[in-house]
Amino acid sequence: MLFLSITLAQTANVSWYLLPLAMVVSLVYSASRFELPDRILQRAIWLFLQIIGFMAMVFAVLWFLSYKM
Amino acid sequence: MPTASPPERNKPWEQRNVVVAFVLAVLVPGLGHLFQGRTLKGLIYLFGILGLYLWGVKMGEGIVVYNLPEKVGAKRITLHYAAQLGAGVVSYPALWQNRRLLKGNEVVRKLEQPLSAKFSGELRRSDRDSLGGKLEGVVQFKLEKMEYGTETTGVFTGTLDGKPVKLPLAGNFALDPPVGAGFKRGLRCSVIGENDEPLPESRMIVGSIPRSLLDSYGVAPDQNQLQEVTGRLGKIHELALVFTWIAGLLNVLAIWDCVQGPAYGFGDEVATGTKPEIKPEEKLETPKPLADAPPADKILTPTSTLG
Repeated sequence: MLFLSITLAQTANVSWYLLPLAMVVSLVYSASRFELPDRILQRAIWLFLQIIGFMAMVFAVLWFLSYKM
Repeated sequence: MPTASPPERNKPWEQRNVVVAFVLAVLVPGLGHLFQGRTLKGLIYLFGILGLYLWGVKMGEGIVVYNLPEKVGAKRITLHYAAQLGAGVVSYPALWQNRRLLKGNEVVRKLEQPLSAKFSGELRRSDRDSLGGKLEGVVQFKLEKMEYGTETTGVFTGTLDGKPVKLPLAGNFALDPPVGAGFKRGLRCSVIGENDEPLPESRMIVGSIPRSLLDSYGVAPDQNQLQEVTGRLGKIHELALVFTWIAGLLNVLAIWDCVQGPAYGFGDEVATGTKPEIKPEEKLETPKPLADAPPADKILTPTSTLG
């Protein structure tokens, strides 16, 4: 998954670089909160989805505001 | 979140010497955890933080990690570099590389010993400054004795726009200082004809050869170089900086975890101060009306019996 997102990042728009970045941030942050691997992974996936969801929402709002500009 | 700990467990962050673990965690992300036997977390930090950091360095072509105070020679640590410092030993070279910039580090006009290196650049017509084609290959330079003294001469062997070419080189030789920011060292030299015959129009090769990691990593770029790289790479360079900053800041969390343990505990504790969960079968059921109960108007009350 990480490799795929890095490959995507290198071949496409600069926004794709945010995927591996969000992945690392959520994984490291979750690892610093919990000790058990299952809990870390569970929390990291949820955090990753939250980050990407939030960014997608902001992107959608900006896209809407700049529509036909 | 207040939590109630289950029966006493071994806390791996308390098992080994905490000072040693702290120092290791500060030097290399995840190394403190590996020392404590917390292998999975150590690997997450090592590959996550260090990977992000080194990827940023590669994306920014090496002009990413540096301490560039406003005054040359000042010892102040900039905010830019302070964030990178968190990533540990990979960021420390910038602390001393700037001093090497000040010691006889100048553009080389004459080589002292032969040079052979990979070259990537373009062929330019020096009178028009226009592009003559893309060059990829190898340059070889040597010192040659002339009537008036020694001169650096050489040859480029490689391809010009994909076609094999061999270009004799001499005159106007200029090689960027040995110590400098970035993994590429600028090189330019005039192209001469076979047997030193003059060409109908003057041409130059302009490009770069690789610069060693020891001479480039952590060196602060000058303003022109910074402008050139930000102009060429654009957002990618900004993103490269962000990657190294975030990596440095993430390692602060890792160091904290190494010394104090995870912030929320193991992750299987039961939260206290919350209402106990009621199982569905334990929920109180609302009383159902009896099936054979008489209608309400048929129920005898003391007043109805009297009438």
